Amino acid sequence: MTVQFVRHLQRHDTALRVPRAGAVVWDDEAVHAEAYAADPQRFALTALTPGVLAPQRARMLLQLLLASRAGTPDTVRDTLARVTRVLALGLAPADVLTVLLAVRRRRANHKHVTRTVLTVLLEHPHAAELVRARRGIAQDCFEHALGRATARGVLSRGALPRGAFLGDAWSRGVPALYRHREGTALVPLPPAAGDLDLTSARPETVTATNRGDLAATLVHLRRGGPSDELLPAVARYTDEVVAGLPRYDGTVALVLDDSASMRGYGERAWAVASQVAALRRVLDRVCARLVVVPVGGVNGRPGGATDLATGVLDALATGPDVVAVASDGYENVHPGDLARVTATLPRAGVHTPVVFCQATFGRADDLTLRRPAPLLPQRAFWHSDDLAPLVLWLLSHVDGAAADAWIGAELRRRLALVESSLAASAAAAVPAGSAGSAASAGSALEGGSR
Amino acid sequence: MNLPVPAGLDTTGYRLGPPQRAGALTMVPVFGPAYPGVAPPRSGLKLSRVVTYGQVELTNPATTGVAIVPLHVGYIQDSAQNHALCRSGFIAAGQTLRFDDACCVQESQGGYLAERDQWFFVLPVELRPAALRLRGTSQYSKLWGDIASFNARHGLPARGHLEQVLTRKRAVLTQYQSRLELLDGQLGALFFVGDRLAGVEIAPDPVYFAELWMALVCFAYGPAAWFAETGAPEEAVEAFEADSLDGVRAALRQRRRRVADEVEEWLARAAWQPGDLVEEERYLDLRLSTVVAETVGGQVVTDGSRLVYASLFAAAG
Repeated sequence: MTVQFVRHLQRHDTALRVPRAGAVVWDDEAVHAEAYAADPQRFALTALTPGVLAPQRARMLLQLLLASRAGTPDTVRDTLARVTRVLALGLAPADVLTVLLAVRRRRANHKHVTRTVLTVLLEHPHAAELVRARRGIAQDCFEHALGRATARGVLSRGALPRGAFLGDAWSRGVPALYRHREGTALVPLPPAAGDLDLTSARPETVTATNRGDLAATLVHLRRGGPSDELLPAVARYTDEVVAGLPRYDGTVALVLDDSASMRGYGERAWAVASQVAALRRVLDRVCARLVVVPVGGVNGRPGGATDLATGVLDALATGPDVVAVASDGYENVHPGDLARVTATLPRAGVHTPVVFCQATFGRADDLTLRRPAPLLPQRAFWHSDDLAPLVLWLLSHVDGAAADAWIGAELRRRLALVESSLAASAAAAVPAGSAGSAASAGSALEGGSR
Repeated sequence: MNLPVPAGLDTTGYRLGPPQRAGALTMVPVFGPAYPGVAPPRSGLKLSRVVTYGQVELTNPATTGVAIVPLHVGYIQDSAQNHALCRSGFIAAGQTLRFDDACCVQESQGGYLAERDQWFFVLPVELRPAALRLRGTSQYSKLWGDIASFNARHGLPARGHLEQVLTRKRAVLTQYQSRLELLDGQLGALFFVGDRLAGVEIAPDPVYFAELWMALVCFAYGPAAWFAETGAPEEAVEAFEADSLDGVRAALRQRRRRVADEVEEWLARAAWQPGDLVEEERYLDLRLSTVVAETVGGQVVTDGSRLVYASLFAAAG
């Protein structure tokens, strides 16, 4: 997948819309169609790249549903089906219903559309709430998937259509689609059934030492804790972070901000520096070659001013595949220099990607004064569980066979993890048909109003 | 660049480092010879109590080393009337000293500061000329009018409440200690707000300066810089004219040189003429003197002609 397309997915945030009348509003359809045509499998997997915006994931689901899979090799077809399914279950139901309406508006009648509609309406862990909240739309989508006559005929006969595959979910869920609901109160849509970014549980109140085991142990080391006890733990926790991550057969340059501000102060002392140190350890384990270019640093501890621009130039001189700047974002020699230098690189014939990995204390840091180069791709990280997605994000900016292979392997790994996570959510959820019963289905049949 | 300190002071060994910039605030680090034996302001100087409004007692709890009270230091505590001092002073080891000419900086807050949970600041540079002028005047409300004008100038309610800036803007102001970075061995700094020299701060040694750093950069010079940059158009970031990596590096070097030259020009243009020193206190060989001139005010500590401590600021605020 091209780097430009991945960047597009992380930046272009306008919503996909299906007006009451008229065509589907999909402003970047050509971009998606072109990417899909180039490599359908990679297109699908790319949707699981951390940081892809929800409106873009919705577009990708739409693209996956609209395109015919005739003639597609089985292995590719399998990947497309798996990604389609996790998107249908893992995206916010509001987005998914918009996509299904768009598919209906486009009159796309592929089998994978039918399967996806039924997955959403009958198999979603919160299907009952979803149908209660948007029954009209759900009916429309259902009838589009099966055909209106078939849908209503099947319902009135109480029998499964030929090839129906959902068993109990069918007999519970279909009648609910046609059951009149008492009252006019607005029922909110349920949440997504899972998290496509695989974000781990995070503490409500962030401290220097509850931001993941690896960073916490590095904080204790920096505070002067016993190295004979802590260093083995650092190695163990690094193993945990990199477990399962593929090996990248390329070169990453890490511009590591080790200036005075990275130390932090008060209760936050060492928090940001430790997270950057954790990133360095992870990259060191994942990459065949890691070039570290420190900015600042005095006798092994943070010190000095922040000259990120020179750091990037030094890093580029080593010929890496990508330059990752890991910093708290306070640039003072001089503000704007990083932006100037990186803006000049293309006209200087340098096309190596430069990305900004913003180290923060927690999720709520005010970054207003900490964006040294707003046009650079940037991603914040503050927890040890952010590190693996961060590596995927930064390598997603690299063109080339090594990065391509790494990203493909990692996205497949994440697909399996998302599937497991969704299965766990489904197992934990209340049965989808608990809100209704098949006994009342026949008499509840009504029109598909919206 | 030369240190803009009163004539006759020996500044041998002092040198200026490369400037750092954060928005409207430019800081030029100062390095130089340490003067040993002075207690630093956070670990070596404690506010023991406020006797009554306008009377503040400070203690030097150390067993050795004289404390030089930072000029215009102030203390903040919840549920107590925040106070600032109008002058510097010497406090010998183990000694407690009462300042009868302190000023309240929180007009309608009752309660006395005590030793618990306190943090200190240095008066914003815009208030320092007035505070220096009012040293020796025992009237706790003497700075309220200036604080009210200071607040009004920056669009805040015209009240004698310095905490409107120091506390309510604290999240923004404290970022200056990260936006500008204290360097190893640094014992002083020149501060410019925009293109104007706003202050010169020299400490006896790097430890003393490190303990004073936050109070200076965040609260003495931070507010003026913050108000100057709020609403100001952001500087456009333009790419360099360069067609190779070496070209980019050269262009960056050139820009750095331009910034350094620009700061040098600002310093030359400041033309501070600190004038004569008026001695106010002694401790053994140390002399505390005041500078009151048309363009600059402040206090310095000297040992003979050797500079030990200086806190000088633009007289116009």
